[in-house]
Amino acid sequence: MTAVTAAPVRSMRTAVAGTLAELGDERPDLVVLCADARALALRFAARHPERSIDVGIAEANLMGVAAGIARTGRPVVVCGMAPFLVRRAAEQLRVDVAGPGLDVTVLGVGGGVAYGTLGASHHAPEDLGAVAAMPGTRVYSPADVHDARWAVRDAVGGAGPAYVRLGPRENHLVHAGDERFGPDGLLDGTLPADVLVVAAGATVAPALAAARAARERGVAVAVLRLVQVWPFPAAAVRAAAHGATRVVTVEEHDTGSGIGAQTALTLCGSWSGETAFLGIGHGPAPVAEQEGLFRHHRIDEAAVLDAVMLERGSM
Amino acid sequence: MPSLRSAAAARRRILGYARGRTVHLGSSLSVVDVLAEVLRRVHAADPGAPRSPVVLSKGHAVWALYALLAEHGHPRYTDAHGLPGHPADGFPGIDVATGSLGHGLSIAAGMAEAFRLDAQERPVYVVLGDGELDEGSVWEAAMFAAHRGLRHLVAVVDVNGLQQEGPTREVLDTSPLDRKWEAFGWRVVPADGHDADDLASALDLAEQADAPAVVLARTVKGKGVPFMEHDLAWHTATLDEARYADAVRGLEP
Repeated sequence: MTAVTAAPVRSMRTAVAGTLAELGDERPDLVVLCADARALALRFAARHPERSIDVGIAEANLMGVAAGIARTGRPVVVCGMAPFLVRRAAEQLRVDVAGPGLDVTVLGVGGGVAYGTLGASHHAPEDLGAVAAMPGTRVYSPADVHDARWAVRDAVGGAGPAYVRLGPRENHLVHAGDERFGPDGLLDGTLPADVLVVAAGATVAPALAAARAARERGVAVAVLRLVQVWPFPAAAVRAAAHGATRVVTVEEHDTGSGIGAQTALTLCGSWSGETAFLGIGHGPAPVAEQEGLFRHHRIDEAAVLDAVMLERGSM
Repeated sequence: MPSLRSAAAARRRILGYARGRTVHLGSSLSVVDVLAEVLRRVHAADPGAPRSPVVLSKGHAVWALYALLAEHGHPRYTDAHGLPGHPADGFPGIDVATGSLGHGLSIAAGMAEAFRLDAQERPVYVVLGDGELDEGSVWEAAMFAAHRGLRHLVAVVDVNGLQQEGPTREVLDTSPLDRKWEAFGWRVVPADGHDADDLASALDLAEQADAPAVVLARTVKGKGVPFMEHDLAWHTATLDEARYADAVRGLEP
């Protein structure tokens, strides 16, 4: 059981910038690239200017250069805004990095709808699934500074291509600083639970809040907080769902290619019960900040609580 | 080691690959002399030093590379069976998987960056097609390489003047190539892409340049087989035995 608090808020970018600087000290071969978006790379660059490269606003070239450097045996971290890394540079990421299994970690800031009122061009609700579909990748969606630091270290420390979605603003602290993160995620609550909620990234906070509210109403709820979303921790999800009568997934992601779909594939044939898959659909969205978009897409606390509390048979 | 002499033999191999399967013949025949000279230089370098990588960014011309590697003694390339139509990892002598156009210059630039960090002076060679220059990512990489002063990056453009659907000037006119590359901060060296001495001199100049350098190699698509030269019909082709025999007879001695 983890202590959960609504405050203080912290910036993943600030936290990960520190982690990158540390990794630069620890790994003298590490190179960090960015494309005119230096926030993550600033502290690394201050310590290791010779290993820090800004390619300008040119994401396709960014990913190709990363591939070239990695082909010589150096690990590479690529920093940038998620929508442009996973869409504009998708082919280079797929063919030049993931195909040959190169040691390149992509840090995508602002996946999902985190860029809010900047609009649809800056949203990437498909980023996690898009990268997960590329061969040999590991994909992470941390929720706060604690699992963000772990995810970046795990991504850079592992062999092969990886993608980490990071928040662009500040995130509620939902994890304790000393938690032992791993590929199976972390469980909040006790098993067996009547309802299992599976969440990752920015939907962990509303999932935990909804679970607290449901418990106050007498419902036994467990929340599986995923940090690594690909390879999908199928065994952990299957074990957590055992004994539950309802499974709810909630994600700041395209519903068809994220943890909801993976949960369905995992449980299909081995578990029976009611399900609710909360995520981002394809319809138009209002101009709003992330919180408003969470309400619109029904991936906020109220929506999770509704899904948890809904009468059986009505979903 | 491959040379223009082996390029002549390689042309026969390229035609042989096209017996029974579709091969990008025109481009492979236009670039084979360029690749032969690049490989000759790579393998002539100090055998104790790490070998310079060769990135065939116009990956559809991989048949020229296979043929030259076969001439170099790689048994994997004696026939086309099981060979991918674009360079793939895991094949001997293939340094970088390519095939999606516009990627190779960025990869080569990344390698040049890494070698500079490692204080290695070796050149990085990348071979592009003139049709490939339509891709915007080529020019992203060109700007980047000049801005970063990657003087050991050596590009060669196989300027055969034809792309899949027609003359490059008609599909998308990228001329004047010399002034474009110069404007992007590169040193430009023109060459006859089928003349061994001229190519060698051009690559000498390119390797000694104080900035990234590009050799604009004028070539003929389908070079060496008279009925294929300048003819887009041979961009990709499969040769039956009669056509193969015609083509081989047409090869220059």
